[in-house]
Amino acid sequence: MKDYILSLRNLRRAFGGIVAVADVSLDIEANKIVAIIGPNGAGKTTLFNLITGYYLPTRGEIWFQNKLLNGVSAPKRVEMGIARTFQHILLFPHMTVLENVMTGRHSRSRAGFIEAALRLPRFHREEESITLEATRYLNLVGLGQYAGQEAISMPYGQQKLIAIARALASEPKLLLLDEPGAGLNTMEKRDLTDLLQRIKEMSITIVLVEHDMDMVMRVAEWVIVLDVGRKLAEGTGAQIQRDEKVIAAYLGEDDL
Amino acid sequence: MPKRLFRWQYALVALVFAGLVLLPFSGDAYYTAIFIIIAIHSMLVIGLCLLMGYTGQVSLGHAAFYGMGAFISAILTVTYNWSPWLAMPLAALSTGVIAYLIGLPLLRLRGNYLAMGTLGMGIIFFILFNELDQYTGGPSGLPGVPGLSVGGFSFDTDFRYYYLVWSVCAVMLLVSWNIIRSRTGRALRAIHGSEAASEAVGIDVPQFKIKVFVLSAIFASIAGSLYVHYLSYVSPNPFEFMFSIRLVVMAVIGGLANIWGAVFGTGAVTMMDQHLGTFGELDVILFGLILVLVMIFMPRGLVPGIVGLWEKWKNRRTKAKA
Repeated sequence: MKDYILSLRNLRRAFGGIVAVADVSLDIEANKIVAIIGPNGAGKTTLFNLITGYYLPTRGEIWFQNKLLNGVSAPKRVEMGIARTFQHILLFPHMTVLENVMTGRHSRSRAGFIEAALRLPRFHREEESITLEATRYLNLVGLGQYAGQEAISMPYGQQKLIAIARALASEPKLLLLDEPGAGLNTMEKRDLTDLLQRIKEMSITIVLVEHDMDMVMRVAEWVIVLDVGRKLAEGTGAQIQRDEKVIAAYLGEDDL
Repeated sequence: MPKRLFRWQYALVALVFAGLVLLPFSGDAYYTAIFIIIAIHSMLVIGLCLLMGYTGQVSLGHAAFYGMGAFISAILTVTYNWSPWLAMPLAALSTGVIAYLIGLPLLRLRGNYLAMGTLGMGIIFFILFNELDQYTGGPSGLPGVPGLSVGGFSFDTDFRYYYLVWSVCAVMLLVSWNIIRSRTGRALRAIHGSEAASEAVGIDVPQFKIKVFVLSAIFASIAGSLYVHYLSYVSPNPFEFMFSIRLVVMAVIGGLANIWGAVFGTGAVTMMDQHLGTFGELDVILFGLILVLVMIFMPRGLVPGIVGLWEKWKNRRTKAKA
């Protein structure tokens, strides 16, 4: 039997009359790299927002490591081991690169207003470990030397890596990447592919939404295709490339 | 940011610190009195900096919390004969609880809506201070608020009160400075940067917003208590909503995202108030003009602005030499 880290059961989300995610059921196998693809408006990002707790489902269930996530708040889900990046990166612009990654340690540390204000011993211990861990993740994405730079001053491609480091800093078991390859050049994409492999080796399951089919085929062990909020197909990259329904969804059926 | 800039910031702070410690010894009663008020207002502006500059949540109603501290202290000591040292923490605690209860619904608002909401809060409390006259004395206020003393030592001269209020102000600065450079401070700044991304790293955004709101209200309340024990009299007038706006102006002039700037901004605006008075009716126009000029030429506030000018001047000089 396969070990599923995430399972969606008849998950639905409607915005007024528009059904963005329509009764999707799927299972994500642990320690795999899974790609979710589909044309614009297929509901990929909405699916991420449902899994991370930004939207509440209209109906259906989300199971993470055999725990029902419906009703669990977004910050709590981070603590349980779900981290994400955004299509539009969303770094904290006026914090340094290192501080951005340190913020990623939020769910793995505790010191609040009082410990900070009075500089209690626990604060110092914790702060030290936060800095250490954040530096480690920053080095992992190869940006250690930019620790002190303001995040907004970094080039686009490196901002994307910082966002990944920030997500990793929360020690996730499941990492959701929303279009990690978008806007990157060929070389950056190759580095990203390597990075994803290294993350997988840390026994982190990766689910990515991606439009670059070359990258999807190279990196993803399993591909799920969404179209207008429904699951159209799933399988290995090779299976998906041959699937007639998928080809029709991407190219249009009546074109020929 | 270059390291040199920070060293200059510290040097400036040290210089101002020395000036503040020595000022009452000059024997200048006028400035000693003004600087007592600057210390009290700084406490309010420090809280606003945490709330607005770091967390990005606007409040146009902080005079309400200032007034709560003032009135609760005054009522407990005058009407019920409590010790000021008991009244002050109780005032701070009650103001904190009230801020919490108000903040729960209010902080769900964002941007301009939050500004309007807090503005409304300020106006409502100003009306309450006036209308609850069996407790607050209404527009004519409550006279006879006792002064502060510890054991046999009474803070009954400006000289003594000066050191009391500046010590409290220094403690608030230290506490805020410690909070900013911590996990909590990073969470607050993260919320300012992006609420969606803050949630994605596990920050409970509403909880942090409300905590910093309550903290700034407690600072304001303590400032209010110290204010009434200084004046020995309280009336609603100082807590009208225009004063809230003035506090925001002080915070902005000092540099919102700069806790030390809070004191400079407060000092600058208070001094301007004092000296523009000589221009009679023109003072409002001059005040506005200075505000606009600061915002155009030093949009990040007075302290970062002056440091920036100094850097520029120095760079030009080194270039001219080369």
